[in-house]
Amino acid sequence: MTEAKFSRRTFLKVAAVATAAVAGFKVAQNVTAAEPVANGSRQWAMVIDQNKCTGCGYCIMACRAHNDVPPDITWNPVLDAGQVGGQEVFLPRPCMQCADAPCVEVCPVGASYYRSDGIVMMDYDRCIGCRYCEVACPYRARSFNWKQFTGPNPAVPQWGEPEVPRRPRGVPEKCAFCYERIDRGLKLGLTPGVDQDATPACVSICPTKARIFGDVNDPNSNVSQLLDQHATYRLRENLGTKPHVYYIPAEASTMEEGS
Amino acid sequence: MKKNKQNLRSLLTLIKPTPWTIWLGFLGLVMLTALGGAILVFWNGLWITHLTDLVPWGLWITIDLSSVALSAGAFSLCAAVYLIGLKRYEPIARTATFIGLVGYSMAMMALLLDIGRPDRFWHSMVFWNDHSLLWEVTMCVCLYLTVLLFESMPILANWNWLKKNFPKVTAIMSHVHHYAPYLAVAGLCLSMLHQSSLGAVYGVLSAHPFWYKPEMSVLFIFSAVIGGISLTLFASMIASRLTPRAKVNDVLIERVAYFVAWALVGYLYFRFWDVWSQNYTYEPGRTEGLRLIISGTLSFNFWVGEMILGTVLPMILLLTPDTRKHPFWRTLALGLVVSGVVAFRWDTNLAGLMVVISYLPGPASISYTSYTPSLIEFITGSGVIAYGLLAFSLGVRYLQVVDHRLASGVHETVEVETLERVPA
Repeated sequence: MTEAKFSRRTFLKVAAVATAAVAGFKVAQNVTAAEPVANGSRQWAMVIDQNKCTGCGYCIMACRAHNDVPPDITWNPVLDAGQVGGQEVFLPRPCMQCADAPCVEVCPVGASYYRSDGIVMMDYDRCIGCRYCEVACPYRARSFNWKQFTGPNPAVPQWGEPEVPRRPRGVPEKCAFCYERIDRGLKLGLTPGVDQDATPACVSICPTKARIFGDVNDPNSNVSQLLDQHATYRLRENLGTKPHVYYIPAEASTMEEGS
Repeated sequence: MKKNKQNLRSLLTLIKPTPWTIWLGFLGLVMLTALGGAILVFWNGLWITHLTDLVPWGLWITIDLSSVALSAGAFSLCAAVYLIGLKRYEPIARTATFIGLVGYSMAMMALLLDIGRPDRFWHSMVFWNDHSLLWEVTMCVCLYLTVLLFESMPILANWNWLKKNFPKVTAIMSHVHHYAPYLAVAGLCLSMLHQSSLGAVYGVLSAHPFWYKPEMSVLFIFSAVIGGISLTLFASMIASRLTPRAKVNDVLIERVAYFVAWALVGYLYFRFWDVWSQNYTYEPGRTEGLRLIISGTLSFNFWVGEMILGTVLPMILLLTPDTRKHPFWRTLALGLVVSGVVAFRWDTNLAGLMVVISYLPGPASISYTSYTPSLIEFITGSGVIAYGLLAFSLGVRYLQVVDHRLASGVHETVEVETLERVPA
């Protein structure tokens, strides 16, 4: 060992080659990685008309019932967004289903992922509960199950029946556009966004039709047409997350009319 | 009957309250309490902590980050010895390697407590998201822990019991030393990757402007190297004070401490610039986070813990020849550097989380949240630290982990020396 069989130079060479190999492999992988949404397939989106939202909170309750969400967690809060034209304005906040979702990027085990229709999904059986996604989400759309939700859900049956299994303790949960209603509806030949049974629970229950749901890849869908007709905005667009939830801002004229 | 009495007496002498047994008893007590706490956490879930959806990472993640950072002495010193060729520091690298092994296992323990589904810890090995920095960190940490295990083989081979009963095994274990340079290359690559990526774990999060900056990774690796080397020297010096089994070479330690001093000068400049340059413009969330550490709830931690005691004072103490040569001041300075690195991790994690930025349209409104660890977090966290102290103490006593008099380079000499010195 006093006389090394290898020079320092050899080591550095080996190290450099190894690093280059790993880097090359990564680059190759990135090139082959598919786009989150395949062209031509469906891309679900939600438009929320703040002129119409009265802040009644029905959507919160329907969401709790249909997704069996515990009372201390809200997937879909309705926030106070100030006043326009002397009227209270509200901002319901479901998961934004971002096209470049920070939660999907950071999840170490790939438990958060994009579905081909753009829904940001959670694999609750794969999640290890590190909560990196929760820290990464700019919209605080994720809630951690600090304890196991046991017992009956107070929102059931008044606001609906659970359609997805209850999540275990130790994983974060979030809105997924009621994918189970979409999937079941499509199987039955229904159109999500048009037929209430194939549409997210919060959209179906909204008494003022402030929420509109549909496929933005279909130019004739109600959401596509709304997006054409109205100036809309998305939350924290500066972060580049490309949310699929659009808001029609409240205008003083419409708000006064509505009152 | 007589034999029984003798056995009893020997048992009593075994647990005679020497400083060593009191120390072991104390650590054992802390670890047992922590074990109870850990069972409570696993049984009840994380709601018994003070972690929330706004501050989901707290004391445990600080222990986790700090143990990884303070283990960085292993890769830095191994690289110095085997790649740069500073062979005379090999005995210190040996100490650092063992501390690294202990540190990374501490990090694993803290993580196991922290994740919501500890039963699925193996998922991170099986399910890969190579886009995630946390995935990269996990992979690197696991691979590096393997490297550290190999690097520690010759150290573990020093265990007398193993040597007596399985001499062939220890011979093989000692032989691993021949591959030290290869292991050093692997360790250097893996450590550079994950030590900096731990900073990038925070640095890539655009949702938290206080963290969202490229220099996070540089700050993390810079402070880790300084803190890791300091802990190695600090632990060695403390051990040599407390037990004759630990032997340090004061000249070697003083030289490395001098390196730490100059590294601190660079770090102070970099960290100060990092904090101050963020004041150029107002950025919602970032400026408020900065206020938290400069004048808010974390300011004592930042100014006193991190800056004055953690960087400036040890820098002065180690740059001044008189205090650097004095064992007390040198030990104090190195200990302060270690606590400064821990304070940096704590500040950075919390200042980012405690600032809550609204996502509503219009100018971002900022609110604050707070976090104080719960008793159960303290109890279990102390258990992890007590485990680290116990492992190091046992290493000093039975594996000659701190023996800086050993001849450099040739491991065969090491064996002969230890055999001569330890009476059978």
